[in-house]
This record gives sequence, structure tokens and C-alpha cells, in this order.
Amino acid sequence: MGVNFHEKKLVKKALTTFYGLGPQAAARILAKHTIHPLARLGAVPPKTITALTTELSTMTIENDARRIVQDNIKRLRDMGTYRGRRHAMGLPVRGQRTRGQIENARRFNCLERGGTWSRI
Amino acid sequence: MASASCWRCLIRPSQRLLLTIPTSLSAAPAAAFTTSAAQYARLPATKTPKPKAKFASGEINMSRHIRAGKRLFLGKKKKRQPDKFKPPATGERKAFRKRIQLTNNNALEVKGLEEMTAENIVDPESVGKMVGLPEELIDQLRAIEAFKPTQNWGLFRAPHVLLRQESVDLARQLTEAVGNKETLRMVITGERAVGKSMLGLQAQATGFLNKWIVINIPEAQELVTASTEYSPVHNSDMFSQPIYTLKMFQAIYKSNAALLSQLRVELDHMHLPVTVNRGMTLAALTSITKEPEFAWPVFQSFWKELLLPGRPPILLTLDGLSHIMRISDYRSPSFELIHSHNFGLVRMFTEALGGKTRFPNGAAVLGVTSKGNSPKIPSFEKALEQAAAAHNGLPIPPRDPFYTKYDERVFDAMNGVKVFDVRGVSKTEARALMEYWAASGILRMRVDEHNVSEKYTLSGNGVLGEMERVALFDVRMSM
Repeated sequence: MGVNFHEKKLVKKALTTFYGLGPQAAARILAKHTIHPLARLGAVPPKTITALTTELSTMTIENDARRIVQDNIKRLRDMGTYRGRRHAMGLPVRGQRTRGQIENARRFNCLERGGTWSRI
Repeated sequence: MASASCWRCLIRPSQRLLLTIPTSLSAAPAAAFTTSAAQYARLPATKTPKPKAKFASGEINMSRHIRAGKRLFLGKKKKRQPDKFKPPATGERKAFRKRIQLTNNNALEVKGLEEMTAENIVDPESVGKMVGLPEELIDQLRAIEAFKPTQNWGLFRAPHVLLRQESVDLARQLTEAVGNKETLRMVITGERAVGKSMLGLQAQATGFLNKWIVINIPEAQELVTASTEYSPVHNSDMFSQPIYTLKMFQAIYKSNAALLSQLRVELDHMHLPVTVNRGMTLAALTSITKEPEFAWPVFQSFWKELLLPGRPPILLTLDGLSHIMRISDYRSPSFELIHSHNFGLVRMFTEALGGKTRFPNGAAVLGVTSKGNSPKIPSFEKALEQAAAAHNGLPIPPRDPFYTKYDERVFDAMNGVKVFDVRGVSKTEARALMEYWAASGILRMRVDEHNVSEKYTLSGNGVLGEMERVALFDVRMSM
């Protein structure tokens, strides 16, 4: 893609660095192009790299995926739901106790979720 | 003191690895008293931080005595600089791990032993003799990776093997079958460390000495654990492993160069993307392409060429047979796990083992199992039991009626194979081996009845790997 990776990097790891792709999705992409999971980027022929790039451009990753998540949160807030308010305040959404640790809630529950400009 | 690495030319890997090789333990004196306490107390002043509480939890700190005085540690909190070193190049660490060392100048030379020839490996008189491997045989065996890094070749001055009863039997069966232009399909089984891979090596040596074409897959595990490249073959459910095939081509070329350069291509191979002329030698055919895409089609053509009448006999060996009898770790494009028999090289071997491939010039297909590194596969174990029973004329044990997951392809691959069970050696053979070790200067004890019986019993009645462990352990530790 627009990003260039070092040729000694594992293909699976390189795929996982995209927002929206985790180990499962990466494994499926590798299987589709018959790349073994321990392959390095230098070992993959350029034709396959191009095929991978085109495949990635068709999937919802990066900004598309972020937008979906943010749209969902915005919808909740615009409806005026309890969940939307919790997201806005940065408190736990799923019914946890607020007496103890709410570290993850403070980190993750915000309106602009998943952006690089966010705290994640 | 025997040592693996040459003292004069310190081979790379990085210095760090050299630093971590343990120093000789056999040189440590077994003293009744120790002067270490006083010695440590006299160590020169270093800046290494020492714990302040010298008598924490009531233990005596032998490193510094209380009367040696306290030291002032300045800059204790500063971080020590990690020593800078250049990391080794790619593949260097692996090459170091898998290096095979066959000569060691620290061992004594054992004179008066014969060399292995095509005659004395089938001679019943040579049971219990140590034979040396000739130079070119060593090169050929090294090219097909017949030597394993876990075997103790690096302790001796020159590689020698013990011709045991099983070696001579196996060699006889191989030569007889091939002499009658039949196909011998055999599986070598036995307990752990009993000498199965070594027998496989001796079978390959028989093949080379009798001028057969020897094709070896040294570790079947590599083909199945999703560690090499794979690609689908058009219009079939098969897959090929191109990089491994190229590596095999190189090994076949290196080891069988003399034979292959005298054989010419006879068939037309129009479908190949590379031009293959009729008059080309088979040796040239093996090195015709470096492209992974063309590796498998060229290999199929090469295999077809070898199966023509008028070619030399073929010996196919594979180590780690149980690994190829399971579903591999590779996934198909539709994310299903691929059965290992759907891979080209594996299928070539299993069809040969199961009797589907017709060899017009005589062949031997040898699968060596491994007890120390093998997955538990009920179909394979049942197939082995049935084959062993059929071989010995006993009633065939039936399959378990309550187990539903028997794999038919495994049974097809093991259809009608002979089973060669390997046990421990006899006492005379063990004695011959120990005399060789003593003559090499490695075994530091008198080789008499008592000692031989002792080592023989400790090894579980002649299990060779255990005997090496028991007799040579302290030498190996210092390597």
C-alpha cells in the first residue's frame, strides 16, 4: 500500500498493523494467496504483493473501519441513550461498577474512538 | 579434552554466542576441599554492584568475606551499557545450529579399519565390524543431509559406522530386491535412540555404493508444519512446495552428479515453460531452473524421466514418517486445512510406499519413523501394527470399532509395506563399538567384560543412543 515495510518483516505481522485486521483476518488473507504463515515480506513475489494490495484496498480497514465505529457511537449519542452518555463521559458502558478500576473505560470510551489523534 | 570448535579458527557466529559456550566441566578438579572462598575474597576491586546485606537470611556469602572490608560504590545507579555487537547475518545462526562436523583433530586416529564397500556391507562376516566411510561417500551423504546434528560425528577423527546385524540384513534385502527389479517398500521402526536414522544412513550408503539414484527427504516435518512456501497446482487439489523442491534438486544434483550426467532426457516435455531438449543430461535438467514457479513441473518431468526403463534403480528415503500421515498445518485458499498427502513431494513418496508407482528398474522405498519426535496418529499406528502382523504371518489386528476417524489415505500409503523392527545391538557389537571409542581416545576406561556388560545394561540392553549417552556423556558435556 502506501506504507512500505521492511523486507524481513513477517507478512502476518505486517497485515495486522492495519486497523481492522487482526490475526484471524490476516490468516485468511494469507491462506487465500497461499502464503505460509512464517513468510517474510522479502520472500513473497511482487505479483502476490500487488494482489495483496488490491485485496486490502477492497476491505474495510483503516479509516473506513474507524468511521463505522465512530458512526455507531455518534448514533447512540444522538439518540440520547444511556450508552451514548457513558461514551461521552468516558465511563464504563456495559454495566460495570465504578467503585473500582475504570482505567480501560477512561482510555477507550470516547466519542472519537480509534483515531490516531486519540489517546490510543 | 575434545571440543567441537577448532581452537585456531574461531568460526563466527557472533562473539556473544562464543562467550556463552560453557567452559570445560571435565577439567574441574574433584577436590576434597576448596580454596575458592579465600580466592574470591582476593578478587580485584570491580565496579560491579554487590548486595549490601552480606548475611541476608543467615547464608554465608562466599563471594566476599566480612573481613575483606567494605567498598564504596559510586555510580551504582547508572545503567550499564549493553555491549555493542553486530548481529549475525540471516541464516548464520541456523547454519551454526545445524552444522555437521565430521572430523575432530583432537581425537586419535584409529588405523586398521576397513572402508565400507558394496561387498562388505552385505557380507555376513562383517557383522560387528567398524567400517570407515570413503571420502566421496561422505560428500554424497552430506549433500543429501544424511548426517544429523544430534549424532556424535564430531567427537571422532573420521566417520566410521558399526555394521550391525540389522545393517547387513537391510543391505541384503535392498540389494536382492533391486537385483530382481522389484520394489522393496519398507518402514524402519523401533524404540527411541535405537539407531533407526543411522540404519537409514547405511541404506543410503548402500545405494550410493551400488550406483543407485538416492533421493532423501531428511526431515519430513519441514514439509508439513507450514514453514516453507507452498502454491497450488493448476487444475487439481494438489499443492507444491517450490522452494523445498529447488533445494531438493540441488541435493539430488550434488549427490548423484556422476550418475545423472550420463543419462539423457528421452521424453518430450513440451508443456514445460523451459526448453528441454532430447539430448540434455538429467544432471542439467536438475539445475535448469531457479524460478520457484517452474520448480514443480520440472520435478514432475524429472521424476517421469527417472521412471523410464533403462535407468538406474532408485532409493527413496524419508525420515520422520509419522509426520506425513496427518493433516498438515497449511491452509487452502478456502481456509481449510490441507491433508499432507495433497502435497506433491509427499504424494510422490506415499504413492511409492503404497505400491502405486511402478518402478521398472527396481527400487527401494524406505520410511524411517522417529520415536523422539512424532505426533500420535492412531491410523498410522494401526497401519503399522497390521503391516507388522502381516509381515510376520500373525493374525491382523482389527481396527478399533469405536474410533471413527481412521484415515484411509494413511492405510493406502502403508499398503503391504514390510516392517523392519530395530532393537538393541548384541554384546559383541557393543564391544566392537566401545573398542573403537577407546581407540579414538574418547572412552577412558578399559574395555573388558565387566565394563562392556555395565554399559550394555545401562543402555537398556544395547540401545545405541543410550550407550553413547552413558559412556560418552562427560566428553559431550565439554563440547
